[in-house]
Amino acid sequence: MTTAVVGRARTTDERTGDSAGARRPRRTWAPYLFISPFYLLYVLFMLIPIAVSLWLSLTEWVGLGAPHWVGLRNYRNLLTDISFHRALGNTAVFVLVAVCAVVPLALLIAQALNTRGLRARDLWRTAYFVPIVVSPILVTLIFGLLFDRQFGLLNSILRALFGTGGVDWLGDPGLARVSIALVMLWRWTGYLTVFFLAGLQNVPRELYEAAALDGAGRLRTFTTVTLPALKPVTAFVVVTSFIGAAQIFEEPYLLTGGGPAESTLSVTMFIYRAAFQRQQFGYAAAAAVVLFVLVFGLSRLFNRLLGIGRASA
Amino acid sequence: MMRTRTPLYGTLVLLLLAFLAPLLWALSGSFKPRGDIFAYPPRLLPDPFTLDNYQRLFSGQPFWRWFLMSTVVALVATTVSVFVCALAGYGFAKYRFAGKRLLFGVMFSSLSVPFAVILVPLFVILVKTGLGSPWFALIVPWVAPAFGIFMMQQYIVQSVPDSVIEAARIDGASEFGIFRTIVLPLLRPSLGALAVWQFLQSYNSFLWPLVLVSDSSQYTLPLGLQTLFVSEQRQYDLVLAGAVIAVVPAVALFVVLRKQLLEGLSTGAVKG
Repeated sequence: MTTAVVGRARTTDERTGDSAGARRPRRTWAPYLFISPFYLLYVLFMLIPIAVSLWLSLTEWVGLGAPHWVGLRNYRNLLTDISFHRALGNTAVFVLVAVCAVVPLALLIAQALNTRGLRARDLWRTAYFVPIVVSPILVTLIFGLLFDRQFGLLNSILRALFGTGGVDWLGDPGLARVSIALVMLWRWTGYLTVFFLAGLQNVPRELYEAAALDGAGRLRTFTTVTLPALKPVTAFVVVTSFIGAAQIFEEPYLLTGGGPAESTLSVTMFIYRAAFQRQQFGYAAAAAVVLFVLVFGLSRLFNRLLGIGRASA
Repeated sequence: MMRTRTPLYGTLVLLLLAFLAPLLWALSGSFKPRGDIFAYPPRLLPDPFTLDNYQRLFSGQPFWRWFLMSTVVALVATTVSVFVCALAGYGFAKYRFAGKRLLFGVMFSSLSVPFAVILVPLFVILVKTGLGSPWFALIVPWVAPAFGIFMMQQYIVQSVPDSVIEAARIDGASEFGIFRTIVLPLLRPSLGALAVWQFLQSYNSFLWPLVLVSDSSQYTLPLGLQTLFVSEQRQYDLVLAGAVIAVVPAVALFVVLRKQLLEGLSTGAVKG
């Protein structure tokens, strides 16, 4: 993604550069001044924290006094910490839900909304987008009430339809994951739909007409015209939802507290718990560094696999 | 024609219900007496209708303080970040300079840094340097979003013509003058979109305030509502009323600027 953007930005520059003659000396400094506020804040609140995180991860610190250097011990402990393994596994499940369920569903909805002659398209699009506007905490509070074992609306409906309710949505290890996946589905689908819909509306109509002339059916048109044209959007959506799901926190924290039996503990929750409930700041930092390496590395890999940036390479 | 379209509209309506039902249920529940919230079958309209939940929310909790805290923090964070993003986005879109490729890459790759990675060190730094006062520290994580710069850069490349900038330059305008008087006004629609997005990010944030704020009088709205939810007696009635009020500014902003926001968000992705 990065390189593709830079590539395009450069072509624009060339235009600027070509048309500009006057005032060269001043123009050499102006762009640096324009971007400097960002880089100042970036260094203060991003680079320095990352560096501090790396350093803290090599220490043992309870938050008071001086951190005590322990080398790679925190990392060695993470290797054998079953809770951390569970957190990684659960987070992987949430990422899979995002990429394999939320993304395809969003594409399907976008496809439906892109139907020619559909009425009130903007209204649908807006309505589906609303969940992302509502704060995650409110979403989880509301879903917490819906999932309530005794009184929740979901169980009431089940009781009315099938005579048996009492499903322990948040208390059963497997179902707790399903419940959180449902909340993710609800929250993210409409947001991603917006991107797919914009992508679909950008596909040149001639391509569809050509496919129709070739006698391509719906499925073939979808795989040979729609999907290739959506490649940049899909790449963006997959990478965004991967990064989003990899740092899931509110849903497990509020709905299940990470339980039962750590079946919904996410990596971010693990970090939060280590640092702010158990005062293991060094250990939390080490877990954060692992998360950083995984997310940063994998999102780069996805960028490459999905073929973004190839054009300008 | 009608026959072929019916399943499509049917599906869309079902989906719409699935997306909006939880919110409508919360809205309706906030006007029901506590005992009715979980009544089955659920009633769409509250009967009897009561404002009691709201009254108890305002009288028993520092609700307006939480609301003020969230709103002011979000407004300041939004103003600062929109300005920073517009400046940097312009720098990247319209200038050619040494190191641009690298600097852009560095900025862009920060999109893949999970917040949890900087959570602990940011907390430590701000508390140790004495800058941990909520008014400052709550704003900090939102002031330099790479996403916003990317969005601005994309928009400026597409919609600010070089000829306008050149003409102003020939007239002797300073570089910053050009940005302020010519570029900024042209950016208005996308600034609106970015502002809504940034407002939502800050206004809806939970993890950072949870870590940072310990004094309940300085809680933000999400934090305050959470205490009602996790308290011993699970005050569902108050939670629902609070949730409804909390969502009003976010939804109102979104409704007013939804067109720009929805289009602004997708500009980068579609052609990226």
